[in-house]
Amino acid sequence: MAAVLANPIARRLLRIPPSYFVFLVLLATLWIARPNMLNLNIMGIFVRQIVPLGILVLGQLVAMRVKSIDLSGGGIILLINYFISSGTFPGASMPFFVVLALATGLVIGLFNGFMIGSRRVSAVIVTLAVSIILVGLVQFLSSGNPPGDVPKLFNDLYNTKFLSVPTPVLFWVLLTALVWLLLSRTVFGRYVASVGENAEAAHFSGVPVQRTVILAHTLAGLIAAIAALVQTGSIAVGSVRVGLDLPILAVAATILGGVVFGRGDGGVWGPFFGALCFALLFVVMTVLGIDEPGKLIAQGVIILGAAIFYGVRVRNP
Amino acid sequence: MHRSLFNILSGRNTRQGLWGLPLLVALLISLWLTVETTQFATAENLFNLVAQAMPLIIAAIGQLVVVLIGGLDLSVGSVISFTTAVLALDQPAIVLIPAVFVLAALIGLINGLAITRFNVHPIIATLSTQYIVLGITRILRPVSGGTVPEIVIAAVSGSFLGIPYPVFWGIMVILAAWKLLYGSRYGLHLFAIGGGIASGAESAARNFGVSDRRNIILAYVICSCFAAVAGVFLAGRIVSGDPNVGLLFELDTVTAVALGGTQLSGGIGSLHGTVIGALVMALLANGMNLANVSPFVQTAIKGGILLAVVGLQSRKKMGL
Repeated sequence: MAAVLANPIARRLLRIPPSYFVFLVLLATLWIARPNMLNLNIMGIFVRQIVPLGILVLGQLVAMRVKSIDLSGGGIILLINYFISSGTFPGASMPFFVVLALATGLVIGLFNGFMIGSRRVSAVIVTLAVSIILVGLVQFLSSGNPPGDVPKLFNDLYNTKFLSVPTPVLFWVLLTALVWLLLSRTVFGRYVASVGENAEAAHFSGVPVQRTVILAHTLAGLIAAIAALVQTGSIAVGSVRVGLDLPILAVAATILGGVVFGRGDGGVWGPFFGALCFALLFVVMTVLGIDEPGKLIAQGVIILGAAIFYGVRVRNP
Repeated sequence: MHRSLFNILSGRNTRQGLWGLPLLVALLISLWLTVETTQFATAENLFNLVAQAMPLIIAAIGQLVVVLIGGLDLSVGSVISFTTAVLALDQPAIVLIPAVFVLAALIGLINGLAITRFNVHPIIATLSTQYIVLGITRILRPVSGGTVPEIVIAAVSGSFLGIPYPVFWGIMVILAAWKLLYGSRYGLHLFAIGGGIASGAESAARNFGVSDRRNIILAYVICSCFAAVAGVFLAGRIVSGDPNVGLLFELDTVTAVALGGTQLSGGIGSLHGTVIGALVMALLANGMNLANVSPFVQTAIKGGILLAVVGLQSRKKMGL
């Protein structure tokens, strides 16, 4: 096996994020199983469903580039959905909700960042605990029942199209491009890359490691808030269960996209295709009649498989 | 004398970690419950409490083994649900009970192999198996139901001399874990490997001739097997298979371990601390139930405790 891995062509192939291969395989499967589903309209609907995940992936990717992880997205989405749908702020306008959501995400992200960067607590524990606290709080406030309706404007905006492409999808692509610019063209992006590569070396080269980690988590919280707004627009009602499985899917999509704890081979577009893979995966699984338990198994196998793919490569550089 | 007492209470200069403080907390909660409520300080409630705490104590001991080598097992909850689902498969007990442990050991083996052979981060490896095992559990038993073998129910519901069986089982498991951690070569190796990993020298133990790979794999197998014991226990109590019974159990075990003064970075921790930590969790649950706190708020409070105890630990590494 080592000999195969030492081959230059094999090594070149191993540098390509698995998401591209998986995407092609899934596309081929769908093309064989249901060729008539491969048209722009149907695909647009499926891809639109995955936009909240795709946006959450962007935050996850920034966190994972600094060798951290953010699992608090589920709690943030639930809390913001509750804010918008519960009627706690009667007569509030859409800009108010957007600002409120962004502020919520910012504060929670900042808290995560402070605990992880300053207090040096394990990121998994912090973000999971934050998520549990938020979920428990929302379920208590709504006494386990779904809260009320979402202002109509959210869903109306979600349903618009621009040149026959759904607006949320365009928004996702735009946001991805922005994060790509941030990570590849700014000083902060350089800092993120160097902290992920080797935090100690970065520290001795004068990179503000702590501040970078805190900022990365703040950004992840902010992006989770944007994902929450899109998710709320998509379901158009209050819910006490929405988005709870998204953080783990976001981790899976990010790893699939070639970004693994400090290593950023996939850039931003690898994870982008990672999220698209999940859009296709859900379609393929629905077509093949595989239900919820099968999806759980598939998620686990994908995370483990992608992580092993990278582990083997790191072991044989 | 004064100094050593201070050291025990603060957990400084010790491999045991800070366990005096949680003991104090446990005593304070008990005292408060004794004064506030009339139901608490009865033999019946106390035995009931121990019986309720037993699955958490057992699973937390398994988690402790993994935490000592600087790892984390997030698949504990799924393994517990999986165990109850397998036990409710309507097969003879003689087949089911060994099968449960073989399957749990297999899950632990997959975790250990992924971590040591394929270089996967422990959190990612156990997170994936958490989902895979949960998926299989939901296929076996989509909703709770079925009946577990009679012998399992009998083993946890009877009593001897007025003391319920679970107390005896718990003592046996704790004694076995004590022998494993403090009376065997393996236990010493665990502390050696964990101490090295915590101080950033991952090959330290290997350089002294301690096989780290094999011992780490064994730690994950042991953790899964303890989770299976906890699962058998729970199955006996709820009499059926339930795919959700182990939900969030992995975090409860981590909370119990951290509450007992064990450092999550590895190498420092103690069995008695973990047992005390699990008892504090059980006391809190008992107290909150007696005080009629909403279950949703209880979950949030548990999360807050986890955040607080882990936040108070200091470590060198940043991030995961």
